Amino acid sequence: MSDWTLCIDFGTAFSKAAAAPTGAWSGFDPQTVRPLMLSGHEQQTNPFLLDSAVFVDDARILFGRAALGQAAASSDKRRLPLRSFKTLLSVSDLDRALATNAPTSVDPHRIFQMRDLIVLYLAFLLQTVERAAKADPALARVKEIRRRYAAPAWRSGDSAGMHTAVLGIFGEAEAFRAAMGDRLLAPEGLPIDVITSALPKAAPAAKPYEMDLIFEATAAASYTSIGLEDAGSHLIVVDMGAGTTDIAAIARAGQTAFELPEARVTFKQAGDFIDGVIANVVLDSAKWARSPEQKTALWTALMRQMRDIKETVFADGRAALRHEGRTLSLSMRDIERDNDFKEFIKGFERAYAQSLAVVRDDAKARGRPEVHAIAVGGGAAAPFVRALIAAKPKGGGPRVAARPATPDWAHAPSFQGNLAPVFPQLAIAIGGALAPDDMLAARAPSIPA
Amino acid sequence: MVAAAKPKPARSKAKKERAKKPAAPKAARPLVDALAEAAWLEADLALAEALADFDELEGARDDADKAHAMVLLAQSLARAGRKRGLARLGILGATEPYDPSRHEYIAPGKPKTVRIKARGVARGGEILVKPRAGPSRRKKAL
Ligand SMILES: Nc1ncnc2c1ncn2[C@@H]1O[C@H](COP(=O)(O)OP(=O)(O)OP(=O)(O)O)[C@@H](O)[C@H]1O
Ligand SMILES: [Mg+2]
Repeated sequence: MSDWTLCIDFGTAFSKAAAAPTGAWSGFDPQTVRPLMLSGHEQQTNPFLLDSAVFVDDARILFGRAALGQAAASSDKRRLPLRSFKTLLSVSDLDRALATNAPTSVDPHRIFQMRDLIVLYLAFLLQTVERAAKADPALARVKEIRRRYAAPAWRSGDSAGMHTAVLGIFGEAEAFRAAMGDRLLAPEGLPIDVITSALPKAAPAAKPYEMDLIFEATAAASYTSIGLEDAGSHLIVVDMGAGTTDIAAIARAGQTAFELPEARVTFKQAGDFIDGVIANVVLDSAKWARSPEQKTALWTALMRQMRDIKETVFADGRAALRHEGRTLSLSMRDIERDNDFKEFIKGFERAYAQSLAVVRDDAKARGRPEVHAIAVGGGAAAPFVRALIAAKPKGGGPRVAARPATPDWAHAPSFQGNLAPVFPQLAIAIGGALAPDDMLAARAPSIPA
Repeated sequence: MVAAAKPKPARSKAKKERAKKPAAPKAARPLVDALAEAAWLEADLALAEALADFDELEGARDDADKAHAMVLLAQSLARAGRKRGLARLGILGATEPYDPSRHEYIAPGKPKTVRIKARGVARGGEILVKPRAGPSRRKKAL
């Protein structure tokens, strides 16, 4: 048995990772959970979040925060960093999607396929995890670390097939990582000629990566119920990230938890969409910004501060920001009046209602009185998310009780208040590291199911 | 071991400290320290903003400037608090039965009920500053 379990949450916007001693589920001690500081060496970023981004520059490829920085500094504004590539991994015809060429806005040299860029990013992610694990004093001394990754439950139903395909890609990434080592982490990126000579050699050298799969919703369910006597029988999880809002549900019988596949709904709008809404609302109200240059400058400034703007407007109901000597203000009410936002809310509510109906039916059929609802992901604090999960369904049937996004144990005085503010975004990685084996969706190839 | 990164200008003090001693002591740094460091980094930035905002507030020439500066200062402070896991406690203007363990009464005497004049601050279940309260009824205007 491995000493520790490490779970990677490869997100659309940010990747995260956490580790826990194997078996932490029974006899849980909050102090043993280790979220990894993937960006611990960077300034002014949340050290637990690694930007999921790749930028193909003239002669180099950059990753993570450096990729975004270089893209922003690039004089050619048509050149884009590749983001949101995680969504590719969940399309039904994966092989075909991966074999497409990267768009020319991303790769003007026209040399890379999507598969190449994903392999490169995953190699960077694996090397970053390696560095963070070595820098973590508790983990550095651990001999055997078993790995897991969290993924949205795949619609096609062929999870085992998808798992094999993903492990193949991770395997290539691992072969490339082993060849490149710390060069992958150089802030100036990796020379393209180095990549084009080394990458083709990685594929034949690759072995399927040894990694278990846990569904994101199951991971969220795992941390929610840990150490709880009164963990309910049914749990609906709303994960609003950057690219998608994923709703899923777990039912529990005794120690085991299983997913209710019919309750799985993916709503293809989330944080990124709200960013656009907010930027447009501010732009519309900034009548002084007339010229395209002024508008572009304002848009860029807004996008740069967007996370802070959202956090403030979600928490305080309004936000003020400075731009070129002006103070601009924005309120939650301005956002709520926006038509795109109204459509977004309608779609979100419909998706949630659809999923909730399945969960409540299942609870009812099993004679259970209550469904717990929980929000995770970067959007967990949004007032419209909180309101939705707190809503009481009309008519009879099982009740719905909202649980806080941050479990009580994360508020333990020993954390001095520092875990709670970052918890919802790390929830999947932490839950994935803590979950017992019988919550896994698929095993690593060497371990029979 | 981690490859030495190229030195960059304008690094924070905490970062310089780290860069100076690459071979950190092997003793397990508790998670709580790592978390605190992370939270401080972000909170420091917000606090720095607040300090600058405060100067602007002091130097504001008219009411409009003052109002803008106040909003920005309040926002930076709130952000710094959030990054440190601080939450506000109580509702401004609420009238409540006086409880010395939950209120700091900021007027002479011992009232039955009080009115919240300033919200308190809590972290987790721990109260760092009690909500400040005054008399529940305003004195009649003269
Ligand atoms: N404190 C906050 N307040 C508001 N929004 C936030 C906050 N923190 C992060 N976000 C937003 O949450 C999103 C990122 O969340 P998260 O890390 O859960 O996404 P992800 O896992 O990368 O995406 P996905 O789950 O869709 O693959 C971004 O849109 C970001 O702006
Ligand atoms: Mg996510």
